[in-house]
Amino acid sequence: MTSTLYLDRRSPVHRLNPVTKLVAMLTIVVIVFAVPLWWVAGLIVVGVVVPAAVVAHCGGRLLSLSLKLLLPIIVVLVLVQGLTFPGGKTVLAEWGVLALTTEGLLFALGIGSRIVCLVLTSVLFVLTTHPGDLMGALTERGMSPKFSYIISSTLQLIPAFRDRADGILLAQQARGLAVKGSPLARVKVMMPLLGPLVLGMFTDVEERSTAMEARGFGSAARRTALIPVPDSTAQRVSRWLMLVLAVAAIVVPIVFGVL
Amino acid sequence: MISLTDVSYAYPDAEALTLEHVDLEVERGSIAGIVGASGAGKTTLAKIIAGFIPHADGGELSGTVRVDGRDLSTGSLVDAVSVVGLVIQNPFNQISGAKYTVREEIAFGLENFGTPRDEMQRRVDEVAALLRIEHLLDRSPYALSGGQQQLVAIASMIVLRTPVIVMDEPTAQLDPAGTRMVFDVLSALRETGITIVIFEHKLELLQQHADRLHVVADRSIVLSGAPDDVLADDRLAQWAVGTTRYVTAGRLARERGLLPPEVPLPVSFEQAERVFDRERSVR
Repeated sequence: MTSTLYLDRRSPVHRLNPVTKLVAMLTIVVIVFAVPLWWVAGLIVVGVVVPAAVVAHCGGRLLSLSLKLLLPIIVVLVLVQGLTFPGGKTVLAEWGVLALTTEGLLFALGIGSRIVCLVLTSVLFVLTTHPGDLMGALTERGMSPKFSYIISSTLQLIPAFRDRADGILLAQQARGLAVKGSPLARVKVMMPLLGPLVLGMFTDVEERSTAMEARGFGSAARRTALIPVPDSTAQRVSRWLMLVLAVAAIVVPIVFGVL
Repeated sequence: MISLTDVSYAYPDAEALTLEHVDLEVERGSIAGIVGASGAGKTTLAKIIAGFIPHADGGELSGTVRVDGRDLSTGSLVDAVSVVGLVIQNPFNQISGAKYTVREEIAFGLENFGTPRDEMQRRVDEVAALLRIEHLLDRSPYALSGGQQQLVAIASMIVLRTPVIVMDEPTAQLDPAGTRMVFDVLSALRETGITIVIFEHKLELLQQHADRLHVVADRSIVLSGAPDDVLADDRLAQWAVGTTRYVTAGRLARERGLLPPEVPLPVSFEQAERVFDRERSVR
């Protein structure tokens, strides 16, 4: 049973302090949403995210996970914006009241490129950052351990949910539940899983909370670390530079009237 | 060491008491086994001894709960967990999820209490040697079997050096090999002087390891005594506790006239072997 999406690899990306990666991720988010040019997101994906994934030896996993998350979003985006964009004038194809317009597709491209960049960056962060390191690094910087734990453990929810859902699905199949058929039939199959899945997760959370409290998680003592999370001056400087970059990404378009 | 006097408890918004007029005494350095049917209130009692009730679960608690001379119903949960360690059923849910290796996992509680690094290293090594899990220290906690994970959970408590450890059905989700692993460490723990309260259904193993057994039924502790005396008590069936297969064999032998009524019922394999050998030689 796995419990985290983290991939244990020996790479420079993995060795970076989690706060550096977190700041980088947030800077990218700010840039792609503050700069009103769709190709900026594409440039960041090609110039930063993909090379980082290659260096981190997790390109394949990044692709498969991101595709699962992105495919439904992109399909819905293209269909809804491409076919029903209110300002669409250049019609490429028409089906009754629905019209596929250039403006609609460009709008979908603008939103879609940002979402793709956001998802790829977030997934890469999760794949290369151990939840414990993130928690330790945030706690070292004065964040409440409980808050840090919530952030880092949230990253584990997906595999924990998947493991439990697999178990429940197997149990239901053993009792004769048919899981094959049309997409609608599959959605219906998922319904009986939801009750035990959610209730089971509540039980897990309660037990985990008890176990954590039993180990002094609520202690007000200043925490120590058996193995400190490494950091460096270069990373500290780069974090400040990224902060400046993020502020510039917000201010420059306003001041120079790019908007 | 542990003293519960006239303890009653009701969960928040509950109409009825879950436990009523509970009295319990556990001696320092001993192993107390607590048995009872499912739903009898064992987990509630475990949480009361460990201080999670009332500090975490709320509810109405009356009576006194003293552990190592301290009243656990006052103060905070952090005060309570520095006196009593708690090991729960599910080994997987006791893994913090915040650590790469078993070594770091065991040290997690020490980190929370601000223990210096050198001391953490030393204590983790000591505990690993005590529980014979040195070979697991550099592995991921998620790469272990259920039994090994439960040993790590126990190690994570022992390393905190609380004078008392409460184990709430620590083998409930383990296979026989994992169960054996957990019970084997009880002997090692006895040597350290830690007081252990273990809530379990596996009566034969309790008979081998516990100094005293206590039966929870009808919302209270209805029977306490030496394991051999408790397990041979006729009333266990009415409390849905069951007994060992040797007691059952002894009762059948009595019914069939193979074992005289004055001969005590055997509760373990060794006792059964001795009793039946003797009866065979007499005949």
